[in-house]
Amino acid sequence: MALTRRQFLGMTGGSATAAVLFAACGVPEKELLVQAPFEMPEDLVSGRDAWYATLCRQCATSEGVVIRVMEGRAKKVEGNIDYPLNQGRHSARCEAGLQALYNPDRIRGPLLRAGERGSSQFEEISWTDALGRLTFQLEELQRRRAQKSMVLITNPVGGHLGMVAERFVERFRGRFMPYESIERTNLRAAIKQVFGQDRMPDFDIERANFILSFGADFLNTWVSPVRYARGFGEFRQGDRPRGTMVHVDSRFSMTGANADDRIFVKPGMEGILALSIAHVLIKDGLADTAAAEALTGGDTLEEFAPEAIAQKIGVAAEKVSGLAHAFAGGRPAIALGGGSAAAHTNGLFNLTAIYSLNYLVGSVGQEGGIVFNPASPLDDIPSVPAVTAFGEWQELANDMRSGDVGVMMVRGADPFYGLPASLGFREASYDVPFIFSFSNFMDDTTAMADLVLPEHNYLEDWGSDSPDPGPGYELVGFQQPVVRPFFESRGEHLGTRGFADVLLAIAGELDLELDLPGETFKDILQAGALKLFELKRGSVRAGDFRAFWNGVLQRGGWWDVSARSTGPAATPPKLPQAEEPRFDPVSADRFDFHLVPFSSVGISEGQGAHLPWMQATPDPITTATWLTWVEINLKVAERLELREGDVVRLSSTRGSIDVLAYPHPGVPPDVLAIPMGQGHVAGGRYAEGRGANVLSILATLTDEKTGALAWAATRVRLEKLDRWVRLPKFENSGADLPEDDEQLVLQVTRDDT
Amino acid sequence: MAESWGMVIDLDKCIGCQACVVACQSENNIPINEEARFNERRAIEWIRVERYWEGEFPDAKARFIPILCQHCADAPCEPVCPVYATYHNDEGLNVQVYNRCIGTRFCANGCPYQVRFFNFWEPEWPESLKNQLNPDVTVRSRGIMEKCTFCIQRIRRTGRDAAQANGDVTDEEFQRTLNPACVNACPTQTLEFGDLLDVLTPLREGTRLPKEPKSRAGAKIKKELESEGGIGVREPGGRGYRLLEDLGTNPSVIYLRKVEPKVEQTTGHD
Repeated sequence: MALTRRQFLGMTGGSATAAVLFAACGVPEKELLVQAPFEMPEDLVSGRDAWYATLCRQCATSEGVVIRVMEGRAKKVEGNIDYPLNQGRHSARCEAGLQALYNPDRIRGPLLRAGERGSSQFEEISWTDALGRLTFQLEELQRRRAQKSMVLITNPVGGHLGMVAERFVERFRGRFMPYESIERTNLRAAIKQVFGQDRMPDFDIERANFILSFGADFLNTWVSPVRYARGFGEFRQGDRPRGTMVHVDSRFSMTGANADDRIFVKPGMEGILALSIAHVLIKDGLADTAAAEALTGGDTLEEFAPEAIAQKIGVAAEKVSGLAHAFAGGRPAIALGGGSAAAHTNGLFNLTAIYSLNYLVGSVGQEGGIVFNPASPLDDIPSVPAVTAFGEWQELANDMRSGDVGVMMVRGADPFYGLPASLGFREASYDVPFIFSFSNFMDDTTAMADLVLPEHNYLEDWGSDSPDPGPGYELVGFQQPVVRPFFESRGEHLGTRGFADVLLAIAGELDLELDLPGETFKDILQAGALKLFELKRGSVRAGDFRAFWNGVLQRGGWWDVSARSTGPAATPPKLPQAEEPRFDPVSADRFDFHLVPFSSVGISEGQGAHLPWMQATPDPITTATWLTWVEINLKVAERLELREGDVVRLSSTRGSIDVLAYPHPGVPPDVLAIPMGQGHVAGGRYAEGRGANVLSILATLTDEKTGALAWAATRVRLEKLDRWVRLPKFENSGADLPEDDEQLVLQVTRDDT
Repeated sequence: MAESWGMVIDLDKCIGCQACVVACQSENNIPINEEARFNERRAIEWIRVERYWEGEFPDAKARFIPILCQHCADAPCEPVCPVYATYHNDEGLNVQVYNRCIGTRFCANGCPYQVRFFNFWEPEWPESLKNQLNPDVTVRSRGIMEKCTFCIQRIRRTGRDAAQANGDVTDEEFQRTLNPACVNACPTQTLEFGDLLDVLTPLREGTRLPKEPKSRAGAKIKKELESEGGIGVREPGGRGYRLLEDLGTNPSVIYLRKVEPKVEQTTGHD
């Protein structure tokens, strides 16, 4: 057979077998391109995957997610496009659930303390032994009629798990103290006071035209960031004209960076600014008159005229009145607040004043405004997760010291890390005879435990959620095990177990009658689903319950878009009496900076510190990772001769921490902003002994009306130490892009329409 | 040409939340960026979010821009590779063949966007974390160059699944499986992905855009570029531009400029 030139080229380009093939069928034109005539390694796909819907439990808002599972292992987390709360979107934190599941430092089975308390020396025991020991201690309390000295500390748990936990504690007659890593007591109290709502309302950001936010880092970590960010995308460039956003804060936050304008207010003065805006709205006839009348009783709030308060709050008078006019002219407009605005001794006042503004522009219960959430369709699960205000933690610490706490059980919360060190919680815990932890990784609390009964990761366990805030209509999310428990192969006695099932088992041993609709947690969930099935409405309908149950698990939950809040229209309450913030120490003398802590995008308030992806996620503003830095104004840093990476000591009246300086132009001169989440005593290879814990040096000032911790009310002094450490950050981690004034990398269109 | 995959990035929507960055790390088996990697300036992020400052307090502004491989039609990284480890395929993708790469790093020198990353070490994971690795994506060894692939494994899988499903797939499902991991993660829908052949070709050739672009991303480009009736990326009325376009790299990623409203719109005063 004579070869043509073309066939020859094909042969030399391909392998011997390929050449035979080519000779037989001729060489297609495209094989002569540079590209190889075979599929590239990265093109090859093997294996089938399955995607299961469940809930993400990485932070307090449970987004609906789908998990890609191959050969029994979870491979990827993505948003569930059906789930109304996040509609397919998710956050960096959701992704890192996989690293919690496969964390190399996960606790593999029950552990009994072997050394001194807090020495991190444990030995493995079996579940039978562990449950026996826990039951024995609880029986002892029952025998001594000291049930009240049992404290169950959890994260704020809703859904059916909340029901089981609450019922267990109620029937045992112990104390239930859900711990919130960043307290929202003031926010809930303000929502109740202003709108008469128990549940957080939804903010219809998507359809709003103007957003005025005070201190709430709602695009980053505040309340329901994925939902808000989804709405924000539409708010910016959707089907409607582009919305305008103004952010009021005492630091430069990621949400602030995304606003069209930023207004820096003196810490704690957010409420007074809100009253001043109210004054302008009323005086200039921009406010709804009925609402204005109800809020003020005819008072024009003259003492809050912009000129009168400008000096005090640090915002120029014309800026305040301009803002009020823009806010009123931008309807539908939303005013929202939280974060550091709520974390002052006058936090409740701040928030009540801020949220009251919504009445003046007619946004309450309106499209593009504040949308109330209906109660959960299931009446036996907690309407909102219970939480404990800081004041009660102070009481608990006292009770611990006086020996009134016999057994402490902790699940999904790390109060030993998050409570200010000056509360003395750690020291007081030595007076608690038994501490049990249900955590599946070593956190600061678990390190102090006598016995660890590790629970399943959420991807291995059942659950449900009635999210607070919901999407404006009824929604119950369902969480299912998407993979078999990772330590299952170690046998029944050496793996992990579901927390709810452990509580149910203990209740059985103690002869506690819980009156729950099922023997196992899965039964209880199914009983809940049966109630939804019997409603015969909503997103999943089926002829029989089995099909309904499968439908609910497939779609990740049940919802009914037509079941909206039907309560009476909210009536505006009278505006609160103005209050000014107090600080610790009272005078700025020698303590010349306000310390404003914030929750960072990756590790939040410390929950993500054991996950390497979260540690390595650059902070949006500083791009810093892995360590604790403090943001300081560039000019102030120049004055103090501080460079990035200089180690500085921040001292409050309660203690000091050493952190790295990061000067930038955004932060106000009298403020030091610092991320929470590092400085763990325990937490495995990725978290332990890394950075500093800002929560440990906070003063224990509270808002006296609610008992909420005023975590932004601490003043500190800054001292430069004679040390420099390179700050691990992504910025400048490669070569810079070429500088070219003609074609900037990031281009901006100035809107002059 | 079969397709020309491309992306639209609307800077007016980007909030800098890093969801795309972590999604990419998860999907593409990117080594854990340990603290030391940042300090050595050798952290790997196929997609990254850069932050730019402008001005001083109290008027300082910080803006975000996600940057990934631009999959340039005239990619400076391609002709410099002595072993054809990086080449342009007929779907408009700039492909990196790990098996061929010998680690000269010429391509990284050639790339003006700094989106190519060299594996200075053998990537390491603790044993249990290896369970998460994506079996569809090669783990790159030491001495190999790597970069964004537009999640080619997803494009391949979508093609195969769609063929098997016999058209029994909704547009939304199709788009979801096709999208790179970063696009699906983005909470604000800053990123949109699709076959932009019908839009990119006229842009490259300076001819008219199609009446009705095929993809959502293409429709978006058309809307933005022709909002003032003009054609072409540099047209003043439109928001579209391509990164460092004057270098002639002809990227497949189109950015839409961030919008800065007049001050009166925010606070009523100038």
